[in-house]
Amino acid sequence: MIKKIMIIVQKELLDNLRDTRSWMTGLFWAMFGPILLGGMIMLLGNTIREKVEEALVLPVAGAENAPSLIAFLEQQDVIVQPAPADPESAVIAGDINVALIIPADYGENFSTGKTSTVQLIFDSTRQSAMADISRAQNLLESYGSYIGLLRLSLRGVSPEMIRVVQIEEVDTATPQSQALIFLSMLPYFIIFAIFNGASPVITDATAGERERGSLEPLLINPLPRGWVAVGKMISAMPFAIFNLTITLAGFAAVFGLLPMEELLGVQIGFDLGALAAVFLVCLPIVILACAIQTLIASFAKTTKEAGTYLPFVGLIPSLPGLALAFLPVKPELWTMLIPTFGQQILINQFLRAEPISEMNILISAVVTILLAGIITFIAIKLYEGERIIKG
Amino acid sequence: MIQVQGLSKSFGKVKAVQSVSFSAPDGQITGLLGPNGAGKSTTLRMLYTLLKPESGTAQVDGFDASQTPIEVQKRIGVLADARGLYPRLTSRENIRYYGRLHGLEGEVLEKQINALLTLLDMQAIADRKTEGFSTGEKLKVALARTLVHNPQNVLLDEPTNGLDVMSTRAIRHFILRLRDEGRCVLFTSHIMQEVAALCDQIVIISHGQVSATGSPDDLRKQTGKDNLEDAFVAAIGSEEGLA
Repeated sequence: MIKKIMIIVQKELLDNLRDTRSWMTGLFWAMFGPILLGGMIMLLGNTIREKVEEALVLPVAGAENAPSLIAFLEQQDVIVQPAPADPESAVIAGDINVALIIPADYGENFSTGKTSTVQLIFDSTRQSAMADISRAQNLLESYGSYIGLLRLSLRGVSPEMIRVVQIEEVDTATPQSQALIFLSMLPYFIIFAIFNGASPVITDATAGERERGSLEPLLINPLPRGWVAVGKMISAMPFAIFNLTITLAGFAAVFGLLPMEELLGVQIGFDLGALAAVFLVCLPIVILACAIQTLIASFAKTTKEAGTYLPFVGLIPSLPGLALAFLPVKPELWTMLIPTFGQQILINQFLRAEPISEMNILISAVVTILLAGIITFIAIKLYEGERIIKG
Repeated sequence: MIQVQGLSKSFGKVKAVQSVSFSAPDGQITGLLGPNGAGKSTTLRMLYTLLKPESGTAQVDGFDASQTPIEVQKRIGVLADARGLYPRLTSRENIRYYGRLHGLEGEVLEKQINALLTLLDMQAIADRKTEGFSTGEKLKVALARTLVHNPQNVLLDEPTNGLDVMSTRAIRHFILRLRDEGRCVLFTSHIMQEVAALCDQIVIISHGQVSATGSPDDLRKQTGKDNLEDAFVAAIGSEEGLA
């Protein structure tokens, strides 16, 4: 039995290795994750770093109305520039991130102790401007409270009288955990790469076999038809594992080559050990990916039809990984019972160098392999029926 | 030796094959003749284990096709209606794959492949990928694949379909040769000439049923017609599907 299955596996491997174009497409998906993530880290890393290091450039209209405010800003290393004639359209156009408008009656209000209104013009939806906007806001607020406190002191009131609540911010997010939001997207790319590595091979071996008219003669050979299904399933696994390896190597290269310390202010602990662990945790997914895609592609009449189904099959199990980047889920038992979801949480844990329960690894692997087994059984039954011939 | 007894099969409401019985002895060519859609291919498909009959039995060398499919598969070589090759594999690799699935390997297999390549005059295309082969070249590869395990029973579904005159002649000679080797050859066709030229025994099928059976001479006598074409028309009761 093993021998005949291996004959099918060998033939599919040879056949599909010669189909350079289709496995190269699969390979592209393996590279996609690391390249995209590397690009995003570089882009965002640069933005964060530049904004922190550079002085805030603040275009101000009516600077002459508030010399003491301007002096305060310049004291705080702000480069005050004359604002363009129409600051609002300049902000809309994206020429400047933020602009300050000081009205003519500012000085009068200031001298008489009334509230002076200034306008800060910005676009809150522009992500790249956020750092500038919040710095400008903070500076204006601290100037306001500084002057306010001075005034109270002059009138003999203790500044503490108006400061009823003092907020002391204790942000537990280390720079590292902020950077790890990026890493949370990793499981998504890894699982997607596994599915996409297997799908061209499976499509060709199932729907393609029917389309070419080679399925019927193949099934007349003296071996149980179910073994044909198993052979095809197994033959896709090396391609999926290859893609998994390339993706992981790609991520390792991104983290190794990019100056992460400089870009994100952290060093990422994605070492060889973590890499190997993630690889092993993902192996059950390889089995599941090959089984589920074999089953679905066997229903498709043509490779084109299979090509419309399989991308979704790969997308659905990888989507929770994307969600995990924004909604962290604790590694509880129920999460391990959902194939591919459990692994995504485990991968995240490895990346964060959190302590990992061996029981969780085992449970997620067993459940995933069990599901793959059930699907394989259905595929075998499908091949034993008459439907498989016509699709 | 092939024996078919009371074989029936429906697809939904369509009764494709109804109670078909015939036998094809060793050392003879038996032709299943009938118009398109008469049930020839369905009958063959039940014989070569692809479809399960609803009732009746199909036996090859005494083994039942639905009870012991593997035993039947070992004893038959089938050129099915679908005869797709693997375009990225060479002729030799295509043939070798089937040989290995039949349990052949090593020197024995390679010798057998070489013998078939010579026999079918296809050494020139032996190590070329089958992508872009002509219909005739593809058929040769499919035929070699069918015979790689040296089966006693050979089932050919419309073997000369789409071939030019020269290729058709070559295939007919090849079929005669298989008979002379003592094999049981069962083939389907809707081409009168071909059936008349090759068959020792003809089974005429129309509307899923056997309407006449016997040697060409028997059929002429049974229907009282002088030529086989008229006999055929008389047997199926219409002129549809004749070529």
